[in-house]
Amino acid sequence: MNSTLENKALEMKERQTQGSPPLAVGAAVAGWIVPGLGHLLLRKWDKAIVYFLTVGALAVAGLLMRGNVFTPAGGDAFDMLGFFADIGSGIFYFLSHTINAAGPDVSRAAGDNGTRLFATAGVLNMLCMLEAFQIGMGHKNQGHRPE
Amino acid sequence: MILNHFQAMVLFALAVSLAFAFLSKNTTSERVRYAVWAFFAFLVVAIGIGWLMYPFSR
Repeated sequence: MNSTLENKALEMKERQTQGSPPLAVGAAVAGWIVPGLGHLLLRKWDKAIVYFLTVGALAVAGLLMRGNVFTPAGGDAFDMLGFFADIGSGIFYFLSHTINAAGPDVSRAAGDNGTRLFATAGVLNMLCMLEAFQIGMGHKNQGHRPE
Repeated sequence: MILNHFQAMVLFALAVSLAFAFLSKNTTSERVRYAVWAFFAFLVVAIGIGWLMYPFSR
């Protein structure tokens, strides 16, 4: 009786840690669109809140400081790198003109710092997306320490 | 909203250290220790590099 229960518990644990590719891709895409949403779908509430707040704080501060938001139509390689960093922040990238209606102003140091903060938000969210993908695939150990 | 250089650096250090703590650690106590350590490490390194660059500023 006990061994049957133990086997069932082990099976459930294995199923939980196996994950699935659709779940992983869905969590990563959701996490890209809204920072933290991927973790929310995976029921990692604490991580979801922290990632949304940290990425959101960096992105909004960067935009309100009138940082530059790079577009794919940029002329050189650095503009493209900037675009790839910025696009990582998902909804904050698409709402950048709403959040900062005045547009970028990098003639002052604040605007330059804002550009860096916004790019940091995007890159940080990419790390969070990768983690959501790993958790979705069941590759990441979530606090289950070997005894 | 205009943050000066130091305020922007503190915001960066706070957000990144918090996110890194949740990305890399599993328990609450580990996360708190790592976040505090990383936050002060960011500040100390940035201020240290600032002082090292000071002689070349003029």
